[in-house]
Amino acid sequence: MNRAVLVILGIMAALVVAVGVLVIIVVSSGDDGETQSGSPNDNGGDSSRTQLRLRGPEPITLDPHIIQDASSALYVVEIFGGLLTLDTNLEIQPDLAVEIPTIENGGKVVNPDGTVTYTFTLREDALFHDRKPVLASTVKFSFERAADPNTRSLVAEFFLGDIIGVTEKLRGEATEVSGIRVVDDKTIEITIDRDLPSFLFKLTYPTAFVVDPSQVDSDDNWTRQPNGTGPYKLKNWRFGERIELEANARYHLGAPIIETVRYELLGSSITLYEAGELDVAGIALDDLERIQDPADPLNAEYRSGSRLSMDYLGFNTNTEPFDDPLVRRAFAMAIDKEQIARAVFQDAIPVANSIVMPGLAAYSEQVQAPLFDPEQARQLLADSSYGGPEGLPEITLAESGTGATAGAGTSAILEMWRQNLDVEVEIQQAESATFFQDVDQGRYQMFTLGWIMDYPDEEDILNIHFDSESPNNNTFYSNPEVDALLREALTEPDSARRIELYQQAEQLILDDVPWFPLFFDRFHALVKPYVNNYLIPPAIVPRLRFISFSSE
Amino acid sequence: MEGLLAYTVRRLLWAPVILFIVSFFAFSITRLGPVDTVDVLAGPRADEEAKERVRQELNLDKPIYQQYGIYMTNLIRHHDFGESQTIYRGTDVWDIIWPRILVSMQPGIVALVIAFSLGTAVGVFAALRQGTWMDPVAISSFLFFQSIPVLVSLPFLVLIFVVKLGWLPAIGWGGPEIDVGPQEVSLGIFSRHIILPALVLSLPGVAGVARLVRATTLAVLGEDYVRTARAKGLPELEVVGRHVLRNALLPLVTVIGLSLTTLLEGAFFVELILGIPGIGQLGFQAAQSRDYDVILALVLIVATAFIIANIITDVAYTFIDPRIRFGAQQGQ
Repeated sequence: MNRAVLVILGIMAALVVAVGVLVIIVVSSGDDGETQSGSPNDNGGDSSRTQLRLRGPEPITLDPHIIQDASSALYVVEIFGGLLTLDTNLEIQPDLAVEIPTIENGGKVVNPDGTVTYTFTLREDALFHDRKPVLASTVKFSFERAADPNTRSLVAEFFLGDIIGVTEKLRGEATEVSGIRVVDDKTIEITIDRDLPSFLFKLTYPTAFVVDPSQVDSDDNWTRQPNGTGPYKLKNWRFGERIELEANARYHLGAPIIETVRYELLGSSITLYEAGELDVAGIALDDLERIQDPADPLNAEYRSGSRLSMDYLGFNTNTEPFDDPLVRRAFAMAIDKEQIARAVFQDAIPVANSIVMPGLAAYSEQVQAPLFDPEQARQLLADSSYGGPEGLPEITLAESGTGATAGAGTSAILEMWRQNLDVEVEIQQAESATFFQDVDQGRYQMFTLGWIMDYPDEEDILNIHFDSESPNNNTFYSNPEVDALLREALTEPDSARRIELYQQAEQLILDDVPWFPLFFDRFHALVKPYVNNYLIPPAIVPRLRFISFSSE
Repeated sequence: MEGLLAYTVRRLLWAPVILFIVSFFAFSITRLGPVDTVDVLAGPRADEEAKERVRQELNLDKPIYQQYGIYMTNLIRHHDFGESQTIYRGTDVWDIIWPRILVSMQPGIVALVIAFSLGTAVGVFAALRQGTWMDPVAISSFLFFQSIPVLVSLPFLVLIFVVKLGWLPAIGWGGPEIDVGPQEVSLGIFSRHIILPALVLSLPGVAGVARLVRATTLAVLGEDYVRTARAKGLPELEVVGRHVLRNALLPLVTVIGLSLTTLLEGAFFVELILGIPGIGQLGFQAAQSRDYDVILALVLIVATAFIIANIITDVAYTFIDPRIRFGAQQGQ
């Protein structure tokens, strides 16, 4: 008896000691750990640095014609190129073409039947990585491959559908795209069905990039060793581990400065950065509080840049109670975004009061969503067809996520509705694939979602979401006046007039509140002091070739 | 031994039946979910017409049993596991999975070796010290590790060895590389990357092995031949090594198969938390992205591994202990 008790006590004592020792290690080494981290590896400031080490997302494929996700585009824009490209200020610039076709230089002609023909002249020095020249026939082949049903591109219609004959090719009714004509080896004509100011932007998207016909036709696994025309070539892609890019020394727009770029595809970027294994790290909002503290050693290495994307609250205008615009307005005006930005996000992300974001031509501070006003919000709810909080049905806010708890921002919004409107809102989370489908099919009353622009044109956010006929109108919003303005703006050649039309349409939309803009996105990063010219452009554009290292 | 052969053959013949049932269930579950591969791929700019076209191309518009038939025909006739659609679009599933298996096997094998050698040592030690306080302490201290789920112990170990002490690499995988066809695979087994996963996967298994070894060793220690060996005046070490261990360890063979279960379960968490590019991580990714062919291939491969392990275990039993016989007709 005695003995057994002793043994048990002994075991417990041993465990307590073991756990205690571990806790002591954890606690005591805390301070050293923090100050040490990062520093030992940092001072390897040798001038012989030739590799840039980044943390990147895993691409789905490097086939430019079928990608439609940001993760893949990040690499594809560095490896491939098309007729036109976007610079880091998101201005259109020529890539494989000598110049941007305009009416003035004769490259753009409006035909009598309303169609528009663009003529592109290809650069003499435009070469693939294997030094094969890019010919007009190569460009035609690439467009036709993107529009081939066997390529299975889900976005070819969206980005190339304005070109005459693309839809027929996609449906398998034509073997060629009739709107694309090879004039000679270095000249190609593209005809679109109407004058569309945003068309040239669409040509900067990967769907319009040029691929090597001989490679694509002969090798099923060509995307593992793609032959593109971009500033970098793919050296190695180890699934789930890393991607290495190698400079294309003969790049026609100027050779990259850094020889190789290595992307880690796994691991927490801030941990790797602190361990000296990365030169640049994107950081999540969770780590931001610490880094924004001026006393933190990492604070000096913090940078951020705006992005062409935003978060919003979407109201399904087809379902109760958000079929009544007054209810939507009341819910919007009960949210104090400034306070959420301050308390939850430490002012790291700017509050959005419009749908069109800064950086787009039609952005204006005069165009505004309803502002925070809890008094008026209560009044609006009382005036609505539901007569006040008691008259409302049960309301659920849906968001993407698999966690048991709501996002911090979402919780704050729910709390504000409870306090300011006396309305209890339930939260529902769905895993992302299911969530997107349910939003599209109108299964939610309201949801939080974000939108990332593909190209910096108002069309890509206003027409696509608020035209009543658009398949991407996820709130089922319909206002004939808005439809008319949006459609007029779409084809308006005069840019001043176009901006005016978009601003008018946007103000009407904001007043009707199908979307309530919440925040604009920013990209937050840590950049080691020896990395120069690490630009944070608002969208995914080629930028690696500008980066250099300083010799300390 | 003819009976044993017949038994083995019978078990092997059952394997395809089980695989058929498993594959059909897995296939139906993936196909019956609310979102399909094309929806995941689609994104907001996708064109409805194009989505329909791609569905047809992937046979997603056909009834489930037909889709299953097509899949199995390709698999059996052409050894074709299909193509990834959403995680590595257009890449052969086998090319994706094969390197991953090689990665996942490394921590698994190391963990198995650690669990069995450490477990044996502890078990024999406890048996030889039976009745003293050292016996329960040895066994119980490893029971402690068995009781902590990997999900709890792993982040704690990462906190200590990676974040605080900085002895081990944060995450990821590395080491010398070998080319296995579709791509190179890192032999993390020769690097520091192996330490954490192997430790975390092996520690919970030690107690089980130790208890089994302790029990069998105690049984053997009571046998006449051990008494004879001791009576002959053989040194204790030789008695244990030659007479006891040899007979006590045979039953261990039977647990190896079963340990596979624990290892695979653990692998999912371990690979996700530590960023090891193995099948656990791939499975998670594939399920989230509704990559049907990848999920199915994983299920089939894992199921096959289990079936084989079970058959080996059962057959091994009959070898080791003649009292456990295949069926009643052999009984007295």
